[in-house]
Amino acid sequence: MAEDLVLDTAIRDWVLIPLSIVMVLIGVLRYFVSKLMRSTQVPDGKIVKEGQVIVRARNLRAAANFIPPKSFRARRAYFSNEENGLLHVPKGQAQNPQAQMFSDPNMAMDMMKKNLSMIIPQTLTFAWVNFFFSGFVAAKIPFPLTQRFRSMLQNGIDLSTVDVSYVSSRSWYFLNLFGLRGLFSLILGEDNATDDAQRMMQMSGFGFDPTKNLGAEKDGLDIVQHEWALPKFEQRAEAVLRKLVS
Amino acid sequence: MVTKTEESQLNKLENQVDNGGGGAWEYLCLARKLKVRRSDKVLKYGLSILNDSRKRSSQGSDEWTLYEQVAVAAMDCHALDVAKDCINALQKKFPESKRVGRLEAMLLEAKGSWEDAEAAYSSLLEENPFDQVIHKRRVAVAKAQGNISVAIEWLNKYLEIFMADHDAWRELAEIYVSLQMYKQAAFCYEELILSQPTVPLHHLAYADVLYTLGGLENLQTAKKYYSSTIDLSGGKNNRALFGICLCSSAISQLARGRNREDKDSSPDLPSLASAALEKEYKLQASDKLSVLTSTLKCLRVSS
Repeated sequence: MAEDLVLDTAIRDWVLIPLSIVMVLIGVLRYFVSKLMRSTQVPDGKIVKEGQVIVRARNLRAAANFIPPKSFRARRAYFSNEENGLLHVPKGQAQNPQAQMFSDPNMAMDMMKKNLSMIIPQTLTFAWVNFFFSGFVAAKIPFPLTQRFRSMLQNGIDLSTVDVSYVSSRSWYFLNLFGLRGLFSLILGEDNATDDAQRMMQMSGFGFDPTKNLGAEKDGLDIVQHEWALPKFEQRAEAVLRKLVS
Repeated sequence: MVTKTEESQLNKLENQVDNGGGGAWEYLCLARKLKVRRSDKVLKYGLSILNDSRKRSSQGSDEWTLYEQVAVAAMDCHALDVAKDCINALQKKFPESKRVGRLEAMLLEAKGSWEDAEAAYSSLLEENPFDQVIHKRRVAVAKAQGNISVAIEWLNKYLEIFMADHDAWRELAEIYVSLQMYKQAAFCYEELILSQPTVPLHHLAYADVLYTLGGLENLQTAKKYYSSTIDLSGGKNNRALFGICLCSSAISQLARGRNREDKDSSPDLPSLASAALEKEYKLQASDKLSVLTSTLKCLRVSS
């Protein structure tokens, strides 16, 4: 049933390429705007300290076999002591991070700014695409798809007999939205503000939750079995020296 | 820690610039990135770029970073007027900057006016209590004044917050060793081993401290750490080889007349270590070989 529709090359010249160029330019613009609007953040003392504690606890877990058993046990007690251990979070204090976030005015402002800088250009571009580029077939996807995708990909096209591989320009817009991330990291270097997809994923599963991290580290530390690796180093040194001397 | 390839690249560039080839700017950038302390070369080549106004303006916005780098190098070489010029230039461009404020405080420190420097650092810290560099400079001021106990106190406070900073642990360990507080030094070296378990220097330093502390258990542990140093450094570390010989002779002296509960797992180790030492001395310092053999014989005889 696959009739091959012949698509005018003018579509490629006047739809696909300009849309991509416009999205790249908007992304670059957003990057510079976000750089200008970024306020210097004074790091919060508690968070800094917790971050460092976690790094130290992780080091302890990783290299535990290199230090003598007594020192390891002393350090483990220091970290996970029930009363004043570093990693111990008393139950009452485990704050809901969301509540904490909204009560801190600076963080709320930052989040709002980031949200706005992401939502507004996306909405505008989407509206522009819909207004100008709807109602015709824009491209053909090279692999076959099922009928389920018709409503998603063929939105402006009201013919139900057209093969689902022929998509409208709205789907080209979405393709660009997710695909240009790699291009942006090439042009703008890492850590640019255009990582929409990444940011959306971060928002849905909430990011930094210090209390859970501490608890996780404490559990990990409690599990570690200390097996002192040093005694077998003596034999290894012997082997090394034997090879050296002979 | 700088990797071997980076170090060789740096040395190659340095040779190139020394012998009149170009590449001074790349050398300065690499030195800045790797944070190595080659202040005399940085000062010489940095000044040559800065004094030539054509080359200076061709760097664009990196010019100011170069001013900062040359200022620090000048302070290290005690060329204080050069440093003052650079800082003045930076101050004209960035009047209210904390980074320039830090450089000014460093200049006060280099001049030796300790109270002014300390006051400047404290005020900078009030504005931003989480600036690691300023904390560490304050400790340096205390140490330079000879106020070791204040330095220790401040360094401990710093480490309470920033406990993952292994350079600070190393500094604290060295201070403790200089004060002969070996137990605390051992703790700091353990932290270093935890954060960087494959660096043989930390194992070596830890073993030295344990050997100095003495006592049978510490000596046995020290021997183990000397052997791990040998393993990690491929047998090339002479100090570790000496350490093994000394440890084994000390252990056998202490353990003589007691039951040896812990069966010696590597009886050949001391003899292998002395053989390796002799080989190394033959290669590098053959005139001292006789001294070495007599010393080793003494150690073995007394064991």
